[in-house]
Amino acid sequence: MLITSKNCSEIVTAISNHVGQNAVLISVGEHTEIDINILLSELNEAGLKFIGGLFPKVIHGNTILEKGIVINTLNNAESLFLIKNISDKNYTIPKFNFKKDKDYSLFTYVDGLTSNISHYLSELYQNYGMQTNYFGGGAGSLSLQQKPCVFSNEGIYQDAAVGCIMQMASKIGVRHGWKKVGGPFIVTKAEGNVIKELNWKNPFNVYKTIVEKHSGKRFTDDNFFDIAKGYPFGILKEDAECIVRDPLMVNENVELVCVGELEDNMVVDILNGNEVSLIEAAKTATEESINQASSPRKAILIDCISRILFLEDNFDKELNAITNTIKTRFPDVSIGGALTLGEISSYGEGFLEFYNKTVVVGLFE
Amino acid sequence: MKIENHILGILQLYEYGMAIGKSLDYKESCDLFLKLILKRKNLNAAWILETDDNKMSSTYSIPFGEKVEEAYSSEFYKILNDIKDWTLLDNTTIISKIAPITITNGYVAIFNLKEQGYLFLYSKKQNITTKDLSQLQPVINKFSINLKACKAFREQQNLLHNLEVQNQELSDYAHMVSHDLKSPLRSIDTLTTWLKDDYSEKLGDSGAKQISTIRDSVEKMDTLINGILEYSTIGKNKVSTYKVNLNLLLKDLIKMIQIPDNIEVIVKELPVIIGDKYRLQQLFQNLISNAVAYNDKAQGKIIVGCEDRGDTYEFYVKDNGKGIDKVYFDKIFRAFEKLENNAESTGIGLSIVKKIVDLYGGRIWLESQVSEGTTFYFTLKK
Repeated sequence: MLITSKNCSEIVTAISNHVGQNAVLISVGEHTEIDINILLSELNEAGLKFIGGLFPKVIHGNTILEKGIVINTLNNAESLFLIKNISDKNYTIPKFNFKKDKDYSLFTYVDGLTSNISHYLSELYQNYGMQTNYFGGGAGSLSLQQKPCVFSNEGIYQDAAVGCIMQMASKIGVRHGWKKVGGPFIVTKAEGNVIKELNWKNPFNVYKTIVEKHSGKRFTDDNFFDIAKGYPFGILKEDAECIVRDPLMVNENVELVCVGELEDNMVVDILNGNEVSLIEAAKTATEESINQASSPRKAILIDCISRILFLEDNFDKELNAITNTIKTRFPDVSIGGALTLGEISSYGEGFLEFYNKTVVVGLFE
Repeated sequence: MKIENHILGILQLYEYGMAIGKSLDYKESCDLFLKLILKRKNLNAAWILETDDNKMSSTYSIPFGEKVEEAYSSEFYKILNDIKDWTLLDNTTIISKIAPITITNGYVAIFNLKEQGYLFLYSKKQNITTKDLSQLQPVINKFSINLKACKAFREQQNLLHNLEVQNQELSDYAHMVSHDLKSPLRSIDTLTTWLKDDYSEKLGDSGAKQISTIRDSVEKMDTLINGILEYSTIGKNKVSTYKVNLNLLLKDLIKMIQIPDNIEVIVKELPVIIGDKYRLQQLFQNLISNAVAYNDKAQGKIIVGCEDRGDTYEFYVKDNGKGIDKVYFDKIFRAFEKLENNAESTGIGLSIVKKIVDLYGGRIWLESQVSEGTTFYFTLKK
């Protein structure tokens, strides 16, 4: 459900009518003209259980909006949690007793601009393992300024994550569509989200050589992101699509700052994509989830904000490819989601990963 | 394309290899390496089982699960003992019994980590190949060595911790001995002196004799306490070392020790060594005093000498005394161990000797024949 009202009481009433006694996932476009603290307070007064996040844009059906609130019912929610201090790793994942022979899905929003997100995901998998599917994304502002962006009944926080464990089957498809144009390279030195050395050389020089040759464009003092948004890094995985890392800028030491963490000795390629490959990948991700699903009630899309920055007006085609593929097979499924700062899922139920420039389609039964 | 795949394979192995040995903490080492393997190969779980003659126990698991404590039955022995390097199973029924997590269908690769047990890698899908396992084998060997180093480091840390605790206890004990025991001892000594002086008439000969016995016992106890204090302080404080001429040291020492007329002490040419004069004197004094105290011959003979053994000097103190039965050779260097009930002995002298030799990085041992004599040998670095 999409709510466009600016009145917090109306919003709470609409949510309450929509979800009844269920918990609710609330995805808010960052320019929505509401006081989020008043909204949270009124949601609490109404006795609703909720988690949510602020995003550059939200998705409802075939539409993307900077303003608006997308509501998804969290059916059979058995545990809602808030984890603070993601960056300093000083937290404990709550215990949860999964029943045998039951399907579970874990949905999580994390501050997409905080550090050590990989550690958070690793801790989730370490604690809950294969007993649940995982799905989620990074919240935050397109300004890339870190501020409070994930919320639950306990309030709104930055450097935090919220999550919900539901007794519910889900089918997930993950794809990005970026293809290799250079590499492999070894990240010989990395610190957090900064590549300090690539193949024992200055990372920008290595990157520049490949990208300028492939694109036919030249980097200047002020056009790094304009070119780099089409040339992400890909961390190699065996027999699967690589994990994309988005280069964001060049710092004062002429090192590459990325969205998402990198580690020493990772093997990476330099990738490039085009309208066709990206849209095709979004369609494939959707088909992956559809082919596993039997009777889904809703679809949640987690699509990277940088895909819209790259595809620009053609992003509509990507969204159409996804929604049309879902509607063709399951016409009654509601579709909502968010354009995020990083995406969360696991390839083939394996270890959890934090992606960039990727689309994750989740069908919930 | 094929060459490129080979290069990618090698680079991936490079990444795995570089994730090993970054830590000497067992869990952290496992996390760094096994989480990487799980991520890159899209696997679902990994765990390590260690075995002994009777049981198997899990020492690491990702994701967390129930700790495995299972009897090492013939069923499992048959599977695991046959694994030379690795094996790949497509039937997880038996393995599910020794998995910390619930596994149903899928594939399990098992690597033999030798002394470090067995590493299990589990995947729901068929994405582990025998080629993968062959490629991983050298990396897994390196991982196994890393685990061994982690354990050795942990044992070393535990040992150091225990030593610190014991040292502290000994230090506290020595403190207690020096202050809490010596103080009443001095009081007893003073009071008995006053008793003897002030009440000599009333005490009579018999009373005076008993007072003397008390004072002898007090003196013996004082000697014992001093010995304990000496023993506990060796090696605790840093002492400066310098060149010590052992010929001069022994010459002075012989004058200090009360040597009966029937015992001859011969000191051969000794070297100049680097050490601390006080400790070296303690070392030779205890050995020579023992040789004197336990000599039962009409013509006693004690010879002190030295042989050059390259990096070390090998000293000896040889006597023709009572000799020591072989069964006591180890026991003799332990504190408070006396071979006979000699009222003069505190039973700590040879412990002090051993501690000093240990402090100098040397070795001490003895050869002896009952009734014929004993030779104590010890080495000191040049």
